[in-house]
Amino acid sequence: MLLQQLVNGLTIGGIYAMIAVGYTMIYGVIQLINFAHGEIYMLGAFFAITFISFLGLPFYVAFLVAMACCAVCGVLLDIVAYRPLRQSPRLAALITAIGMSIFLQNLAMIIWGSRPKPFPHGALPAYFEKTAVTFGGVNLSWFHLFIFTITIVMMVGLNLIIKKTRWGKAMRAVAQNKTMAALTGINVNRVISYTFALAGALGGAAGIMVGAFYNSIFPTMGYVAGVKAFAAAVLGGIGSVPGAMLGGVVLGVAEALGAGYLSSLYRDGISYAVMIIVIILIPAGLFGKVLKETKKSM
Amino acid sequence: MGKLRLQNLTRGGKIRIGLLALALILPFFPFVTDYVLHIAILVLLYMILALGLNIVPGFNGLLDLGYVGFYGIGAYTSGLLTYHFGLSFWVIIPLAFMNGALWGILLGAPTLRLTGDYFAIVTFGFSELVVLFLTNEIWLTRGPLGLPGIDVVSIDLTLFGGPKWEFIGELPYYYLAIVMVLVTVFVMYRIQDSRLGRAWFAIRDDEVAAVSCGINLLAYKVIAFAISAAFGAVGGSFFARWVTFLSPDMFKFWESFLILCMIVLGGMGNIWGVMIGALVLVSLSEVLREILPLLGMPVNVRFLAFGLIMVLMMRFRPAGMMPIAAVAAQMRAGRVKRKKVKPAVGMKK
Repeated sequence: MLLQQLVNGLTIGGIYAMIAVGYTMIYGVIQLINFAHGEIYMLGAFFAITFISFLGLPFYVAFLVAMACCAVCGVLLDIVAYRPLRQSPRLAALITAIGMSIFLQNLAMIIWGSRPKPFPHGALPAYFEKTAVTFGGVNLSWFHLFIFTITIVMMVGLNLIIKKTRWGKAMRAVAQNKTMAALTGINVNRVISYTFALAGALGGAAGIMVGAFYNSIFPTMGYVAGVKAFAAAVLGGIGSVPGAMLGGVVLGVAEALGAGYLSSLYRDGISYAVMIIVIILIPAGLFGKVLKETKKSM
Repeated sequence: MGKLRLQNLTRGGKIRIGLLALALILPFFPFVTDYVLHIAILVLLYMILALGLNIVPGFNGLLDLGYVGFYGIGAYTSGLLTYHFGLSFWVIIPLAFMNGALWGILLGAPTLRLTGDYFAIVTFGFSELVVLFLTNEIWLTRGPLGLPGIDVVSIDLTLFGGPKWEFIGELPYYYLAIVMVLVTVFVMYRIQDSRLGRAWFAIRDDEVAAVSCGINLLAYKVIAFAISAAFGAVGGSFFARWVTFLSPDMFKFWESFLILCMIVLGGMGNIWGVMIGALVLVSLSEVLREILPLLGMPVNVRFLAFGLIMVLMMRFRPAGMMPIAAVAAQMRAGRVKRKKVKPAVGMKK
């Protein structure tokens, strides 16, 4: 029982981590809580289901194409909504982010309808349901393994991008000091777009996996997942990528255990409570630095 | 009041008195059915809520995403006290006010020392927790079943040998709501022109300068948050006794968003702007509620329009339709600076 909860917690936690990383990266470069990030996650799932049912793409191809679409959506979101407000006070950008989140959610409701949709019959590879490993009385399906693998591969890949590539270096430079980065010849706006693309792709992938895991996709799915992932990012220390990864996993496990042993009714409440407690007691999170109010930081 | 002559008033004053007079005689127009009156009460209720919320983003420049939590607390305070103890509305109003303020202080004191972003997300988490609590603590709130059969408002003069008059139909509630709006507006104006209000504006315009003038940031922000929460709770307690039925679904994030949208549309910090924002958005919301089912769409899609309004306002008119100078200047500050920068000679963009 405990082990089963732990496995479920790790699976969901890995997915939270993938979304949380998006929040944290975007916060790192433009100091904005991108409330619409949860909607990118939701769009990812809907893109995948649309590609599968209308274009007949196989699951893996649809997965990649939907991720690419989400990357584009992320970039467009930045260009359309956030870029014109770079010089504005944070309040304006935050309100825009919330507005975009609500807008996209309702747009999805108009396009795909508000009722939960499953993946088309037979769209998911058949072996997903089959048991891959059994240990200690816990059955791990291939799908669990698939999620684990994808999560780990993406996290490692992201770390390599940030640590080793020129773009990663540029991203870190922009996160530290925009003006100085611009002076050294970095195209700040392009780096921000690149960050949004990365965050969008990861968020989209997370959306597809959750959608496939529960086999149910609906326009408001990004809302709760977005808040939980944000809680994970806060727990890890906002702005810190490894922190967000760890935060996601910790939160996922805490939620699974809390739902199993305390009260399943307050399942969603656990992440809110963790978030509020962390913000009040250790606002820097596990790995972050304490934020300073800089009114015109952009 | 002998000095109050029409010719002594400014143009704005005349408009205000005219609008008030119009509001007072509104129920007697032939086209005003119970449905119209219902929406008019809704407009007035949202005016109270928007004015209450306005204190936090408008006067203090902080984003509050959990306002509906206090609205819900006020509504359930009122509903439960009536349901179990049969308390009168007139006793409940101050109790709800104090309960709202109490929760405002409890939530605000530890979180308002943090940056605005964290504060916004904490308020959001709080209001979601309130909804979860209302849904799950069935022993207290009956959960998703809702709390039906809350007594209507009544004026009970039997203690003094007078009659007992129950509020039946929309008409008495309409006038009650007008009185409540007038009181709220009066309080807001008094606060705005007081020492407290000036301190808030200083905090909004420049925190560092405010601190160096000896303003205790945390204390003033907590007071602002508590007063805002208290007005939310008062709005909620009116709502409970008016619709006589409560359910946790009524207090979801959508409501917070709608109220925030009113402030953004009307003009953050502008008392009149906020009230007009409430009028416009409640009307729009009701019109869309009628039209959308005809187009075969779910009613909630109307939030698409509200989301779009928020984004467009921030892009093109960030201080709202009726901006106040200080907010407008602040919102413009960065943009003007950007326009001044010219590329140096010989440099390509």
